[in-house]
Amino acid sequence: MIRVEGISKEYKQFARSTGVIGSMRNLFSREHTLLKAVNEISFSIEKGEAVGYLGPNGAGKSTMIKMLTGILVPTSGMVTVNNLVPHKHRKEIAKKVGIVFGQRSQLWWDLPVQDSFDLHKRIYNIHDTDYRTNMNIFLELLNLKEFITQPVRQLSLGQRMRAEIGLALLHNPDILFLDEPTIGLDVIAKDNIRSFIKQMNREHKVSVLLTTHDLKDIEEICPRMLIVNKGELIFDGTVDQLKSNLSPGKLITIEFESNPGNEVELANADLIADHGIRKTFKIDKGLDSAIDFVKRVSKRYPIKDFSLEDSDIEDIIRMYYRSLDNDNNIGIANQEKMSVI
Amino acid sequence: MMRAYYAITCKAFFRNTAYRSEVWLRIFGNISIVFIQISIWRALLGTGSLNGINIEAMITYSLINASVSMMLMNKVIYVVDDKLKTGNIISDLLKPISYPLLLFYDELGNVVFQIMFTVVPTIFIAWLIFGFSFPTEPYTIVAFVISLLIALAISFLLGYLIALVSFWFLTTFALDWMVAALITVFSGSFLPLWFFSAEWRFIADMLPFQFLGFVPAAIYMGKMDASEILWMIMKGSVWILILWLATQLLWSRAIKRLVVQGG
Repeated sequence: MIRVEGISKEYKQFARSTGVIGSMRNLFSREHTLLKAVNEISFSIEKGEAVGYLGPNGAGKSTMIKMLTGILVPTSGMVTVNNLVPHKHRKEIAKKVGIVFGQRSQLWWDLPVQDSFDLHKRIYNIHDTDYRTNMNIFLELLNLKEFITQPVRQLSLGQRMRAEIGLALLHNPDILFLDEPTIGLDVIAKDNIRSFIKQMNREHKVSVLLTTHDLKDIEEICPRMLIVNKGELIFDGTVDQLKSNLSPGKLITIEFESNPGNEVELANADLIADHGIRKTFKIDKGLDSAIDFVKRVSKRYPIKDFSLEDSDIEDIIRMYYRSLDNDNNIGIANQEKMSVI
Repeated sequence: MMRAYYAITCKAFFRNTAYRSEVWLRIFGNISIVFIQISIWRALLGTGSLNGINIEAMITYSLINASVSMMLMNKVIYVVDDKLKTGNIISDLLKPISYPLLLFYDELGNVVFQIMFTVVPTIFIAWLIFGFSFPTEPYTIVAFVISLLIALAISFLLGYLIALVSFWFLTTFALDWMVAALITVFSGSFLPLWFFSAEWRFIADMLPFQFLGFVPAAIYMGKMDASEILWMIMKGSVWILILWLATQLLWSRAIKRLVVQGG
């Protein structure tokens, strides 16, 4: 469905000097840096897959979506969507994909929501029966009924996003691109949108590529995730794989009957917090080892209670991003300084 | 496919109805412009005439010229400029239709709205106040309508051409300003081309701007004979072709270097 091989995108960024003399200089000479927004990325997505595309701000996520939809031309590398090269077949691709931008609207601002759907029916040349079937689904599941006759500018963000998603799916696309679809929404609105996308993916076999900063989006919708940083693909696998690869282990807090002192030393465990009778240990991954650990401890010291904490996906990603930040120097090496007159 | 473009025009038309109060302001503004122009010409011409043009002819000329300039589509620059600056151009490019045609039919919706709610009321009010002559020959009316279509096409292509240049500079202010000035002078909205000196008239004849006001007005007033009208229609069509080719060339390059702003 989607094939991306060694794709790169460079932007020229002009450095502007400040101040009066600086702005005079800007008129004649412009220094620019080449910024590699996407660097040699390869992956493929099959029909019906749901893939999360994750990365910190400025990692090149939107750039990738724009290249996949044919709006930006890659600097190098090859990309095909449905066996077509997007920027050469923009209009054909457009019929096969639906796109939702959390930060932009595809709806007609001054007109009722219904009008945007009517217009899409014409633009995408949607058959009457398909149109009616889809509209019925959206009116129900996205609850468009309650605001379909209101002008778009009067909608709340949550309502608008529901309309945007319906609009993007109206022409039965094979692929749905979602660029931060839940940004700025409240918890309930997020849940509604996630479950709808999940349903469209599972039942209607719409492939989904979703970029987000909210890991819950990915956990709920996407079995597979790609992580990019500074334009490079650094992880491609399932959420579980990421967890087991990177999981810092489990934290066990044990409350003892009486303080066993600090000589408690056990294999595979580090003491990380000590509050007398309550001690927290960090142990390696695997639930079995956690139970074994508690058993072993309870044999030697009577224990009152214990609690087990798993580090959640947010912590994992945070750790991942931080560890990447440490090799910042690599990123700077990618940007060559050039000067043009 | 035509139905898609027709739908775009309809939506653009109804979008305009969202802000109804503007209609009255526009009519008032137009009447003021026509009134000022007529007052100036009345002061200049008095009861006499210049190059065979008397005050009655100038009233008709001012009204037609002002009406044509209200229908011009070179405002498409602002549409593209705004979409480039905000990055919203992406939504248009993601639709399975031709981008220039999308822009054209969208503007057409605005123009139809302008004609119905600004041009017609303006002419009606001006007719009540100043009096106004209508063409008698049927072929004049046909030629006038053709010249209006040429004006629409040329103004759209000019605006679109400049909009495409903004793909390189990401701003159009200076260019747009220049074109607006050129239109004001060479479309004869400031001074009819009859009163131009020979050299300036020659320059005006070489440029496409005369089709954006002067030519339709002159045809309407019956100041051109059949052979002149035919020649003008041919010349206008050639300009449309030249501008269209230029936009095609520029578009194929512009799309390759598109920079979508923001996220």
